[in-house]
Amino acid sequence: MSGYIASLLSVIGINMILALSLNIITGFCGQVSLGHAAFYGIGAYTAAYLSKLGVPLLLTLPAGAAMAGLIGVVVGLTSLRVRHDFLAVTTMGIGFLFLGFVRKQKWLGAELGISGIPGPGLDPLAYALLIGISAASVVAFSLWIKRSWMGFTFDAVADDEDAARTVGINVPAYKLTAFGIGTALAGLAGGLYVYFARIILPDTFDFVQSIAILTMVVIGGTGSVWGVVASTVALTLLPEVSRAASDYRLLIFGGMLILVMRFSPGGLAGMARAYIAAYRARRRALP
Amino acid sequence: MYFVELGVKGLVYGCMYAMMAVGLTLVYGLLRILHIAHAGVFALGAFIAVVVANATGSLALGVALAIVLSAVAGVAIYRFAYQPLLGHPAFVPMIVSIGIFVVMQEGFRMVFGAYGIAFEHNPYYTATVDLAGIRLNYVEIAMVIAATVLLVGFGLFASLTRAGIGSRGTVSDPQMATSFGVDPVRVRYLNFIFGSGLAGIAGALVGLLNNYVEPTMGGLVSYKALAIIVLGGLGSVRGTLIASLILGVVESYGTIYLADIFDRDAIGFLFLIVVLMVRPQGLLGRG
Amino acid sequence: MTVLAHIDDLHKSFGGVAAANGASFAVTAGELLAVIGPNGAGKTTTLRLMAGLLQPDSGRILFDDRDVTSLPAHARVRLGLGFTHQIVRPFYSFSTIENVMIAAGHRQTTSPWRALMPRSRQAARERAAAILERIGLAGQAEQSPRALPLGQRKRLEVARAIALDPRLLLLDEPLAGLSSAEAATMADLIRTLPQAGITVVLVEHNLGEVLRVADRIVVLDGGKVLADGAPAEVMARADVRQAYTGTS
Repeated sequence: MSGYIASLLSVIGINMILALSLNIITGFCGQVSLGHAAFYGIGAYTAAYLSKLGVPLLLTLPAGAAMAGLIGVVVGLTSLRVRHDFLAVTTMGIGFLFLGFVRKQKWLGAELGISGIPGPGLDPLAYALLIGISAASVVAFSLWIKRSWMGFTFDAVADDEDAARTVGINVPAYKLTAFGIGTALAGLAGGLYVYFARIILPDTFDFVQSIAILTMVVIGGTGSVWGVVASTVALTLLPEVSRAASDYRLLIFGGMLILVMRFSPGGLAGMARAYIAAYRARRRALP
Repeated sequence: MYFVELGVKGLVYGCMYAMMAVGLTLVYGLLRILHIAHAGVFALGAFIAVVVANATGSLALGVALAIVLSAVAGVAIYRFAYQPLLGHPAFVPMIVSIGIFVVMQEGFRMVFGAYGIAFEHNPYYTATVDLAGIRLNYVEIAMVIAATVLLVGFGLFASLTRAGIGSRGTVSDPQMATSFGVDPVRVRYLNFIFGSGLAGIAGALVGLLNNYVEPTMGGLVSYKALAIIVLGGLGSVRGTLIASLILGVVESYGTIYLADIFDRDAIGFLFLIVVLMVRPQGLLGRG
Repeated sequence: MTVLAHIDDLHKSFGGVAAANGASFAVTAGELLAVIGPNGAGKTTTLRLMAGLLQPDSGRILFDDRDVTSLPAHARVRLGLGFTHQIVRPFYSFSTIENVMIAAGHRQTTSPWRALMPRSRQAARERAAAILERIGLAGQAEQSPRALPLGQRKRLEVARAIALDPRLLLLDEPLAGLSSAEAATMADLIRTLPQAGITVVLVEHNLGEVLRVADRIVVLDGGKVLADGAPAEVMARADVRQAYTGTS
C-alpha cells in the first residue's frame, strides 16, 4: 500500500513541477508554448544517459535541468523574433524536432528509449518525499516570482510588449528569463521522472504530453500558482479515483479544456475569484 | 530519374498539405484563430469515407458524404466554439480548438478502435500508372487533380465573383465590407464550409492512399499544415499554396539526406524554424 | 544653454517613401520644443526614431553627447529619454496606479536578476500616488484604464512617462482627440514639465496650443527641417505658411 501511495505522490509532485514550470512561461510571461514536453524530455534524457554512465543523482538532476534550461533559452531566442501566433506553432515544432531527433539517435536508444536506469538510492517513500520537497520549492519559487518585481514585469510584458519597452523594460531579457527558468524546471521534472520510472521512451514526451501539461495550467487558471497546484492534484488523482476516468483520460482532458475555456477562461482560479467577489458583494448588500 | 520522382512525390504530398492548409489559413485570416481542430475534421472525413464505402460498397458515396459531413462539422465548430469567444484573446479559442481536436481523436479511438479500419473494396490502392517513367498511384493523381481543380476554382471565385470579392473584403476591412452589404457571418460560414470540405476530401483521399484510416492520422498532417500556414505568411492563401508545395518537396528530399538525424516529420518543422529565423514573417508574409 | 539631444541628418524610408529625409536639429536642456509640419512631414517618424522604436536608415541621434542611434528603446529610457504614444497604450490589465507604479519602480526592473530580489512595491506605490495627484488622476487610481475617457488616458500616459524620471520627454500628439478645454489643460500640464527638470519635445497638430506653450518651434516638411526658431518669427515666415497651405 505504501508503495502505491509513494508512487502517487511522486507522480503528483512531478506533474506539479511540470505544470508550474509552464505556468511561468505561459501564465506569468504570456509566451505560448505548445512544446513544453520537449524540455521535460531533454532533462529526462540527459539525466538518464548520465546516470547510466554512473554519475550520481545529485549531479544528474542539475545537469538535466541545466541542459533543458540552456536549450530553452535558445528556443526563447526564437520567441524574440516571431509574433504570438507564430510562437504557438514554432514551439509545437520544437516538440516535434525533439521527438524526431531522439527517435533516430541510436546512442539514445532510438525508438526503444533508455532502460535499466539505476534507482535513486532511496526507498520509494523517501524518494517521493524528495520529489515532494522539490515540488514545494517550486511552488514557493513561483509565488516568490509572482510577488516580486519580476512578476510585475512579466505581467507588463504579457499585457503589451511595446508599451513595456517604453517603460524601460528589456523585453527580450525577460522573455528569455521566463523561458530559461520554465524549461530548466521542466528538465528537473524530467530528471526526477527518470529515477521514478527507471525507463524512458520517446513517446512519453510527445505533443499529447505537452497538451496534458497545458491542460493542467489552463484549468487551474493560467498564471495562478494555487490554481495550477489544485488542478494538477485533481487531474492526476482523477484517473486513480475512477477507472473509467483512467481509460478516458485524454477525452476528459480535452472535454475540460473545451468547457473551461468556453465558459470560464480564468480556470479554477478565475472561478474562485468570481465566487469570492460575488460573496463579498452579497455581504456588502446585507444591512 | 529517382531525383525527379522524389520531386514529383513531394509535389503530390504538397497538394495534400495544400488542401488541409487552405482551410486553416482561411480561418486564421478571418478570425486570427489557430484552428487546430481542423485535424479532427480531416480525420472525420477519412472515417466517414471508409465507413460509408464499406457499408454501401460505393467509394463515390463515401467521399461525397465525407465532404458534406466535414463541412457541417467545421461550421458547427465555428458556431459553438469560436463565435462565442471572439471577444477573448486568441489564446482562448485556440485552447478550445485543441480540446476539440483531442476529444475528436479520442472519440474516433473509442468508436473505431486504436488500429482503425481498412477499406474493403479499394481497387485504387494498388493500381499505378507510369507517367514518363514515374510511377504514380491513381489516388495520388486524384489528389493532384482535386487540389488543382478546387483551389483554382476557389481562386477564380475569390477574384471574379461578387461573393468572393466580398469575402476578401471582410478579411482586410470588416467594417468597410459590412457597409457594402457583405454579411461577415455568412462569409465565415462559407469559409468554414469550403475549408472543412477540403479537409474532408483530403482525409478521404489519404485514407484511400494508405488503404486504411486510423484515429491519430489527423494529428501529424494538421501540425504540418499549421507549420505551412506560418511559413506561407499567416492569412495569405497564395503563400500557403506555395509553402505547401515547397514543404512537400523539402520533406521528400530531406528524408533522404537527413534520414539518419531526423525523421520525416521533424524535417518539415526544422525547415519552418530555419525559415522563420531568417524571415520572421514567413516566406510571403508581410511582417 | 546646454544641448541635451541632437539629431543629425536622419533618413528613414518606408517602402520607397522617405519619411525622414535629412532631418537635423538640436534640443536645448530645459526648453519646450514643438515639432510641427503638414501631414506626412515625418514628425511622428522623427520622434519614434529618437525614442528608438524605429531604426534610421542613416544618420545619428545623440543624447547627452552620447551616440544612442543603435541603442534599443528600453535602454534609451534608462538613460533618461522618455516617450508617449500618439495612440495611448496603457497596460489594460493593470489599474491606473499600477500603470504608473511599473514605471516608478524602474530601478527595480533594470535586469531580471535585480527584479527577483526582495523589494516591496510600497515605495513605488507612494511615488505613483504622488504623481497621479499632480496630474489630477488621484481619484481614478484603482480604476482600469478601460474605464477612463480619452483625456484621462492621455494624462495617464504622461504620468507613466514622468514616473520614469526622464530628462527628456518625447510626446507624440498628446493633444490629439481632446476637446479644446481638455487640450488647454493638457498643454498647461506639459508647460510645467521643463520647470520640473524635464525637457520636452512635442509633436503636435494643434497650432493654437503649441504657439501658446512652446519655447521654440521646428517645422518639418518632407522629412527635412524647414524652419527652426522662436514661435513668432517661425510662424511669420512665408515658406512655413506655404508648407501648411499645401503649395510647395
